Amino acid sequence: MVLVWLAGCEGERTQSALHPAGEGAQVIAGLWWFMFYLLGAVFVLVMAVAAYAIFRPRAEGGGGKPWGERFIIVCGIALPTVVLLVLLIYALTATMALRKPETAVTIEVIGHLWWWEVRYPEHGIVTANELHIPVGVPVRLELRSADVVHSFWVPELHGKMDLLPEQVNTSWLLAHRVGVYRGQCAEYCGQQHARMAFHVRAVEPSEFEAWVAARSQPARVLTTDAQRRGQRAFVEAGCETCHTIRGTEATGDVGPDLTHFGSRLTIGAGQWRNNAGNLSGWIANPQALKPGNQMPRSFIEPEELHAITEYLLSLE
Amino acid sequence: MRESSDNFAAFERTWTGPARLPGALAEVNNQPLGKRFMLTAFIFFLLGGVLALLMRVQLAVSENEFLGPQVYNQLFTMHGSTMMYLFAVPFLEGLALYLLPMMLGSRDVAFPRLTAFSYWMFLFGGIIFYASFVTGDVPDAGWFSYTPLSGPEYTGTRQDYWLLGLAMVEVAGIATAVELVVTILKCRAPGMTLARLPLFAWTILVIGVMIIFAFTTLLVATLLLELDRAMATHFFNPDRGGNTLLWQHLFWFFGHPEVYIMFLPATGIVSMIVSAFAGRLIGYTLIVVAIVVTGFLSFGLWVHHMYTTGLPELAMHFFAAASLMIATASGVQVFAWIATLWGTAPAMKTPMLYVVGFLFLFVLGGFTGVMVAVVPFDYQVHDTFFLVAHFHYVLIGGVVFPVFAGLHFWLPKITGKMLNDRLGMLSFWLAFLGFNATFFPMHIMGFFGMPRRVYTYAEQLGIDGHNLLASAGAFVFACGPLVFVVNLGWSLWRGEKAAADPWGADTLEWSVSSPPAVYTFAAPPVVRGRHPMWAPAPTDDAETNAPARRITQAMHGRPVTWRATLVTDALHATPQAIQWLPGPTYTPLLAALGLLVAMVATLQQYYLVLPLGLAFSLVAVGSWVWPGEWRLARMRDDDVADAAGLPVFPSGSASTAWWGMVCLLAVLGTVFAVLVYSYYYLWLFSEQWPQERLPRPGLLWPAAALAVLAVGSGAIGWAERQFNRHQLHLTRAGLIAATVAVVLFLAWQGWELYSVPFLPQTNAYGSIYFIAHAALAITLVAAGVLNVAMLVRLHHDPQHHGHTLMQMQLTAMFWHFAVVAAVVTLLVVHASPWVL
Repeated sequence: MVLVWLAGCEGERTQSALHPAGEGAQVIAGLWWFMFYLLGAVFVLVMAVAAYAIFRPRAEGGGGKPWGERFIIVCGIALPTVVLLVLLIYALTATMALRKPETAVTIEVIGHLWWWEVRYPEHGIVTANELHIPVGVPVRLELRSADVVHSFWVPELHGKMDLLPEQVNTSWLLAHRVGVYRGQCAEYCGQQHARMAFHVRAVEPSEFEAWVAARSQPARVLTTDAQRRGQRAFVEAGCETCHTIRGTEATGDVGPDLTHFGSRLTIGAGQWRNNAGNLSGWIANPQALKPGNQMPRSFIEPEELHAITEYLLSLE
Repeated sequence: MRESSDNFAAFERTWTGPARLPGALAEVNNQPLGKRFMLTAFIFFLLGGVLALLMRVQLAVSENEFLGPQVYNQLFTMHGSTMMYLFAVPFLEGLALYLLPMMLGSRDVAFPRLTAFSYWMFLFGGIIFYASFVTGDVPDAGWFSYTPLSGPEYTGTRQDYWLLGLAMVEVAGIATAVELVVTILKCRAPGMTLARLPLFAWTILVIGVMIIFAFTTLLVATLLLELDRAMATHFFNPDRGGNTLLWQHLFWFFGHPEVYIMFLPATGIVSMIVSAFAGRLIGYTLIVVAIVVTGFLSFGLWVHHMYTTGLPELAMHFFAAASLMIATASGVQVFAWIATLWGTAPAMKTPMLYVVGFLFLFVLGGFTGVMVAVVPFDYQVHDTFFLVAHFHYVLIGGVVFPVFAGLHFWLPKITGKMLNDRLGMLSFWLAFLGFNATFFPMHIMGFFGMPRRVYTYAEQLGIDGHNLLASAGAFVFACGPLVFVVNLGWSLWRGEKAAADPWGADTLEWSVSSPPAVYTFAAPPVVRGRHPMWAPAPTDDAETNAPARRITQAMHGRPVTWRATLVTDALHATPQAIQWLPGPTYTPLLAALGLLVAMVATLQQYYLVLPLGLAFSLVAVGSWVWPGEWRLARMRDDDVADAAGLPVFPSGSASTAWWGMVCLLAVLGTVFAVLVYSYYYLWLFSEQWPQERLPRPGLLWPAAALAVLAVGSGAIGWAERQFNRHQLHLTRAGLIAATVAVVLFLAWQGWELYSVPFLPQTNAYGSIYFIAHAALAITLVAAGVLNVAMLVRLHHDPQHHGHTLMQMQLTAMFWHFAVVAAVVTLLVVHASPWVL
């Protein structure tokens, strides 16, 4: 029953450590199933012995004394030692398999209250709440925090690693399959810890190259009047004090870089689908959707709000 | 005969505390205070449970808006803090305070006033925690309060409720631990050697020692964090050379032993119940070894809470291996219980039922514990609901179930009324089934990507069903304790009267009536085996020799006009002295009130009131430890000493005070060890030391100051020798010389701190530099005050024996410790930056 439940036949999962799509997660899932069967068998055995000891009818002459203290030494010391040694050896092989591989791409991830800054130092790309990685290529992660402790976790790809304010921690990802994998902050970081998610988009290497080439460009040229009006309104409303849109006068560094915002899957750090409705709702009052976050409520006329939305969504 | 019954009535009056307010506030006896501890902790348990239910309502469905993020974060913070700090340890300590004297054959614990002080500190600390709900400024940085989230930059005053409340509760925990350790070592019935000590007492002895080290570490950590918040120091501020991981290390150096501090007494309860229901005990020695080994190893595991913080791989495997070893120690206990129960067909009364439930839940939780200790696996499940499931199996299954087993087992002794067995079984099944429905699905939620401490989760995780089941289960689970409360009420109102030994159990608490007399034993019992109730000491064998009989007879209902108990040797429990015990007094309450004022002043940032509260508290403690002349005279004049052939003014290791001082020095030693650790930890992660090109500290003056202190140390040693040779004038001279040495040293320290070109607020180096000097200065001031107190004592009481001798010994012990502390501190702070 437990197995059926664990196997999770009820549709697609988006954040499951037991449905690995990457090297690290696969090794760890293997370790889990090994431990599950080994320790599960021992658990059943111990419970059976305990039940027999407690519930069997009273022996003639008041209580058997199976083997006295020898029983305790064999079952309580010798047996666990053997089981735990087997486990430890298996765990060590798993650890070897998780040693950092030679990596081709480096991504810096910087945790903020409550969003993720993502940088590709080799390619000069800055984005937020989304990592693009090539399938089959090990990617190096350099993790640090701009404020409190966070933890980077994409269960389908690998285990987690903390982001600290005082040092850079490293980890790696190696995706086996093309797909979008959801990740989430795993170290309590304050009010909106629950809404600090992100996505990893694993794509074919050629597609990754194309993405890098496109993202290295400044923001795209505007084509409609509404977009141009939106750009002006963006500046007039003061958005540029916190956000950067490369190629424009917006160079703030408090909030996420919005240079290629239109191509992002979600807004609010992995929370809501990135579309016109959600986006204008967010801009109008981010505090209603994600109370406590750094972005203040704005008081923008509906027309301008509409223009800003259109402008941002055009930044693909 | 007439005279002796009059005497006995007077003896009982001496022991009877005031029943009504306000006199009841002066109570110091272990029985009422043990009950107050347990009742207060149980109320906190129920409060923590209510918080948990609210959390489960919020999490019942995804994207729920029942509570909102702020409130949810406050609730999980307070839930964890309540259960860890305000329920588990205080409850178990309360149970131990109540039970140990009657289990060991003593009339009270070693330091009754300390019991009262602990209780008030615990209560006031808990009130500070919960006062935050009244002001609406509820702490929300988690029970672990990781920096920098809990630091001044990210959290307002609400975190101060947590830190200051916790500080008071920690002091209570440490004080009770000292109390329990000394009680177990010194207040045992003649013949109860350590090899005959009941297993519950063994677990309390081990956790008492663990608390002294672990809680003191947390106490120092909380004070450092409070300094960061209130005085702008930088211990945990990475922008100014501090280190946030330092907090995690200090916290888990407390936090991991804490798990075993809760769990070991629970195993002690289980051992007592298992042997009572089996009518025998197999594997006593192995269990004792397992308990001691667990205690030791638990201090080597703290890093397994930090596998994902980027530590070196080798270090992590060391901690993983240690974690697996400790599992073996638990295995020994489990199989010892199985062997004991084997084929004895124990009656399935409520206590036994809870023990069986414990076995299932704890072994399951233990197995998932082995899993999370495996480093790579922890990468995935760390800080997920898998962890939440694991530690609730261990803490509820492994601690709360044994606590309920113990309540059903010992409440008849405490209240004198039996509980209803049917209601007990109902409470068990509700709790057991509800518990599994709540927490088993959480394993799976963790695998499917649900992190801990989230107020909501995305529907796409596909865990709505699991969460709904967990929430429903929580309400079923909550009915278990509720039925227990009903059962308790019913039992008090209508319950069948309990016999002295309703379970046929083996230890001494079952030899006294239910409920016991407040003095527990009219005459000290004599013990001749591990199971005194199954094989009572024969009254006429060779081993129950004349001295023991003489003591038993001499102390029957005596001394009459003052409270006293028999103290025995720590190892062999041979009688050593008749120990005076205090009667009702308000001083512990006043001392705790002074500290409460100091804490509230800090909370409200009225820093001028802070020293007033501390001073008030110190005066109260001073009047508490200073014996009244009338009391000493009464002890001197009593002929119980001659009748029993034992001293009433013991000294050296025969006295409880000596052991109390050893424990106090262990606490202070831990304080210095934590500061030294922090000093080198900060250094290790700094690019340069001293930070920011500050000059290295001086060498010459500290060396000179140490030399002066060494002379003072010689003077104290000399004074003690002169005292033993009855040369009281020379003793005075030595004490005065030592006091002068302290004053000179303190003057140098003041000058040193005044003249260094930085402040505690400059950077982390400045912070640790000042705090190390401050800790040393406080220790030396205390040593100086003790010197002066000894001079006053000699003035009042110019004699070599009795209380004066004890005070001289304690003064010298503290002094020598202070000198060692000075040497270590100055070597670390002044010499090591030149050498390393």
